[in-house]
Amino acid sequence: MINLKKLQPLPAKRREEMPNSKLGITFKEWKANKPNKNKWRNKRWAVLLFFNFLFWASFAFDIGVLEGSLSGSRFFGIYLMDPYNALQEMFIASRTGYFAMLTTNFFIGFFVILMFYFLMGGRTFCSWLCPYHFLAENVEKLHNYLVKKKKIKEHSYNIGIKYIFWVGFLLLAFFTKTLVFETINPVGIISRALIYGPGLLLLWIVVLLIFEIVYSKRFWCRYVCPIGVTYSVLKKVSPVGVEFDLSKCGHCRDCQDVCLVPHELWFVKRGEATKEIHSTGADCTNCGLCVDVCYGDALTLKIKGFDKIL
Amino acid sequence: MGQSKSDINRRQFLRNGAVAVVALSAVGVGANYLKKLNIENAKTLLRPPGAVDESEFIYACIKCGLCVQICPIEAIKLAGISDGLSYGTPYIDPRAQACDFSCDAMQCIETCPTSALDFIPFKTAGEEAYVAYNKANPTPGPDYNPIAIQSKAMKAHTKMGLAVINAKTCFAVEGKGFKGTPREEGFEGVYRSPNPKLKERKASLVNDHLFNSEICNLCVTECPIGDSAIIMETKTGIDGKEQWSPKILDGCTGCGVCVMVCPSTPDTIIIEKLETA
Repeated sequence: MINLKKLQPLPAKRREEMPNSKLGITFKEWKANKPNKNKWRNKRWAVLLFFNFLFWASFAFDIGVLEGSLSGSRFFGIYLMDPYNALQEMFIASRTGYFAMLTTNFFIGFFVILMFYFLMGGRTFCSWLCPYHFLAENVEKLHNYLVKKKKIKEHSYNIGIKYIFWVGFLLLAFFTKTLVFETINPVGIISRALIYGPGLLLLWIVVLLIFEIVYSKRFWCRYVCPIGVTYSVLKKVSPVGVEFDLSKCGHCRDCQDVCLVPHELWFVKRGEATKEIHSTGADCTNCGLCVDVCYGDALTLKIKGFDKIL
Repeated sequence: MGQSKSDINRRQFLRNGAVAVVALSAVGVGANYLKKLNIENAKTLLRPPGAVDESEFIYACIKCGLCVQICPIEAIKLAGISDGLSYGTPYIDPRAQACDFSCDAMQCIETCPTSALDFIPFKTAGEEAYVAYNKANPTPGPDYNPIAIQSKAMKAHTKMGLAVINAKTCFAVEGKGFKGTPREEGFEGVYRSPNPKLKERKASLVNDHLFNSEICNLCVTECPIGDSAIIMETKTGIDGKEQWSPKILDGCTGCGVCVMVCPSTPDTIIIEKLETA
């Protein structure tokens, strides 16, 4: 959460500047006006399920559209490679000297994925494609329910530790000369289970999910997953993201409640925003949950500079 | 309040980070331990054609399963959790479904994105055979087929292991013949018979083939490599009777078709992985 807050926050909004005041209604009425839409969520789940189905169908029916699994695949013959896997392989190759494994297809896969997720907004992979994210997102509701009923306590950690894991797993690959992370990677495990049939290692997924339900919300995605960190680096330079318009915001902070990475929406708190227009940072997965929930359409999924071209 | 928000943040980071480092080291130690076990364990896993040495294979394979998907006869499977660190890596169980080179082009090797199955030696072998053939036959005959020449050389270049025959249960050694279909009913393994009379272009069920031989010689006749890999040795014993025994030669690729078609007990023929330096 290192936001270089050199800018001073803008003065907090006055009552008559609130979006409901402009319409001449009460805040409650303003919030009630919003039809309950799940536009982006439905789109996202459709994409997620479709591509995971495509992985499965490509093998099951031998149609060969999207062969392989999420750790490495071919889309209409174009190689794709999990970037964190690729980084580990480069580290191992530099240790062992077996550079033959860094083939042309390996680099094609690596750079195509980097290019694609640069254009699509980095961690877009997480919420739009990752099968573990889909499960975690859904069990999170159960977790929230239990917290609300005061059955369990919320445990949160410093989100910076994911960088430690990112470096750590790369170093582990370097020193042990194995793809350590791939062995415990829930993304790969679920993907392979979907495509090649379930195995006992799915118990690891169950353990993770139970831990996330009863102890710490979205533990894996928030604090550990180095794949997400790799993509978040791309997000920093990517043109796609959620844009926030201060003038339309009523500071209800419902978006932060639904957000999967609430620290990225720090600017919605009254008196925090430093600019009229803000964009979400590296950890944002462009899931669109905040866009769906926003009553004043202050949050939108946007491609930066795209409206200037039009 | 004596502490600023960033102070609390930093201390939380250090505290949580320390736990993360401990967890990472635990994973590392565990992985290293499993790896030692694994090298022993993986000796029993028959890797697909072109697999590099196990010590390299274990990290070169990213467990994507592209080789599994491309195999036309589904010979390649992914290992489960019982194989430790080899989890998710490809292997072949020749008794259930052997690699019979049905694809003709070593597709699993070609598709591997990280050279865990290394295609370059196969490419070289194919090209060399092609050049050698052209030198030997300056004027190509009517049955000239450059693809078949390369494919044959590439197949012969495979070294997955070596077949080992257990003389105690071999029908031929006992002097028995064989009649009927080789495997139990409902067996789903397929292969492409090398018998030129059948002219099989695609693999068919093992049990679709009927055999009738005076001395069981399925492993010899059905070998996709042929005479350079396995022959039937005959000699006259002390009592004057003829004795037969199949003999594995250097050309054996360890593909395991003989293991699959053997009508005797499951461990009459096994594939032993080669010891590499």
